[in-house]
Amino acid sequence: MVDKLLQVRDLHLYFKTTKGVVQAVDGVALDMDSGEALAIIGESGCGKTSLIRAILRLLPNNVHTYKGSVVLLGTDIMKLPEERFRTQVRWRQISLVAQAAMNALNPVVRVGDQVSEPLVIHQRLGKKAALVQAAEVFRMVGVPTDFLSRYAFELSGGMRQRAILAMALISEPNLVVLDEPTSALDMLTQANIMNVLKGIKRDLGQSFIFITHDVATTSELSDRGVVMYAGQIVEISSTAEQFYLNPLHPYSQKLMASVPTLKQKKELEFIPGQPPSLIGPPTGCRFAERCHRRFDLCDQEPPMFSLEDGRQVKCWLYK
Amino acid sequence: MAEESRTPPKAESAAGKWRVFSPAALRFARYTLIRGVALVVTVAIGVYIAVWIANMGGHVDEIRKAEIREAVGVSFRGNPAYRDLTPSEKRELMDAEIKRQVERLGLDKPFIGRSFAYLANALTLSLGRAERMSSDTGSKQVRSIILERLPATLMLFGTAQVLVFFVGLFIALFLSRRYGSFLDRLSVSLAPISAAPPWFYGIFLILIFAAVLGVLPYGGMLDAPTPKTTFGTVLNVVKHMILPLMAWLLSTVAISVYTWRTFFLIHSSEDYVELAKAKGLHSNAIERRYILRPALPTVITQFALTMIYAWQGAIITETVFSWPGLGRMLFQAIGMYEVPVIVGSVVIFAYLLAISVFLLDILYAMIDPRVKLGAKRA
Repeated sequence: MVDKLLQVRDLHLYFKTTKGVVQAVDGVALDMDSGEALAIIGESGCGKTSLIRAILRLLPNNVHTYKGSVVLLGTDIMKLPEERFRTQVRWRQISLVAQAAMNALNPVVRVGDQVSEPLVIHQRLGKKAALVQAAEVFRMVGVPTDFLSRYAFELSGGMRQRAILAMALISEPNLVVLDEPTSALDMLTQANIMNVLKGIKRDLGQSFIFITHDVATTSELSDRGVVMYAGQIVEISSTAEQFYLNPLHPYSQKLMASVPTLKQKKELEFIPGQPPSLIGPPTGCRFAERCHRRFDLCDQEPPMFSLEDGRQVKCWLYK
Repeated sequence: MAEESRTPPKAESAAGKWRVFSPAALRFARYTLIRGVALVVTVAIGVYIAVWIANMGGHVDEIRKAEIREAVGVSFRGNPAYRDLTPSEKRELMDAEIKRQVERLGLDKPFIGRSFAYLANALTLSLGRAERMSSDTGSKQVRSIILERLPATLMLFGTAQVLVFFVGLFIALFLSRRYGSFLDRLSVSLAPISAAPPWFYGIFLILIFAAVLGVLPYGGMLDAPTPKTTFGTVLNVVKHMILPLMAWLLSTVAISVYTWRTFFLIHSSEDYVELAKAKGLHSNAIERRYILRPALPTVITQFALTMIYAWQGAIITETVFSWPGLGRMLFQAIGMYEVPVIVGSVVIFAYLLAISVFLLDILYAMIDPRVKLGAKRA
């Protein structure tokens, strides 16, 4: 049997803060096949970035609990010691596309040197040879190759995002994780980047995980959608259409109803109230307080129900 | 093929003879020139202000005239050749002599006019002759008085600054790696040590190491008699430098460590540091390339500020340690209304400062590509 690309089981990541323990990722389980594009959707603060940090082992100093298993192509990478994780997993197997809006590029090192750096570290390539490959990837993502000798501040937001994308692709990793790749970019640039990503997925069969709160832009790229709420996964769909047209979980339904569309006139909805604090979250269903379909079972925590069509949902309505 | 695309052909509109230089080099030269001119103007203004202050806005002229009158009076009273003259004849002769001396020194002309002559002389380092002080070799030339003292100052404070920079940087990096640890919290709480100036610690260090323990000299630069061998002399100077350097380090390292550690902490929470970690860089490489390197401009700025402080602090610190440098000389000159020496050392300090700032500016442009070099980009 071919190993799954990624199998996450019972993943926990808690942070210590002065106010208490933040349960940012609380028992997440997730499967992913090679060549798939997975979108992790949720509002700010739902733990989606923490989930990525947990998978990539990019942990801050205040970690309280970090447990579970992340099996990548048959190897539990959580069990690897740090040095082996660094040399064998980081960027060789999983790479990260950070937000260009943030300072994802070092301001005092030439972009080309940063983009080609993974080859220099992991494949022991010379600087020149690495730059030749960087030029190759730049062409693929649509950045003029003379930008290699520029600094980050000499690039526009869109170009910067492409350069960061090029950096993630240069080492041909098994999995590319994109952390809100199109937020803080204008609509045209967003569309451009999405087209670049689509091309890469089509031509290279690259596997992606997107993290986003922007359902609209990722809808056409992702094969499956994963909805996170308050540190937990509440719904996993098996196809994109199912998910965008007919979401199961009341939270997903509300989320989709809040996305504006051009084709049909609809009243945009919002969800009353606020997500619960991740410090001592409610014991029952975490969405219960804001849910429009709440009933008495919701005071107990629902398990993940698997439906016949392959969908999974964490809601008592589907018992 | 990547190499070709890295150097795109530039427009050929610029004059042909300049084509041997790359545009970047030309831009850098222009930047350097502009910075240099700006600093020369700054130095000139600073020295001109010093000329006015040292002359008390021209009042020193009055003091000197009074001194001439007194000296002439004394010499007439004591001179037997004038004993037979009538008081009015004597007064006339005295007035003529006073007038001659005043004119010789140019004191009859308005100060404002002479102030510019002073400025021109000062900037060209024609520092004139001292009135009371003389160099150890007996010269009255202000330039020799100053040049004789300059090496001692450069040696002590050059060493001090280099020590502060590297010791501070090392400790700051060490602490930023251990943010929140006991050592880190200790050093943060010790930062107020820097509130007291170096000479303050100097007094206590002299008390402890020279007076009580008797292991290090009270001050000065060399023992008398001086050691015979060169090596012995070097060791002797080093021995005399220990206490001033300790005082200097005590006073300046704490605050440098505190600020630099904070810079490093800020820079290590940048997104590119996290991305570098995700890329699989070794932690040493991350520290060097992604924390130290981007933080360097801020570190250098802070270092430049301590450098300015160093030239100022030299005055009292050298006095406390009897260090035969420029600072102590200036201290003595101020006490003696020795205007030519005061102005002369201000000029030298101004030049030292300007040269330091100039070098830092160039360094800045080299380490930080974001420093605008004054030309629009292609």
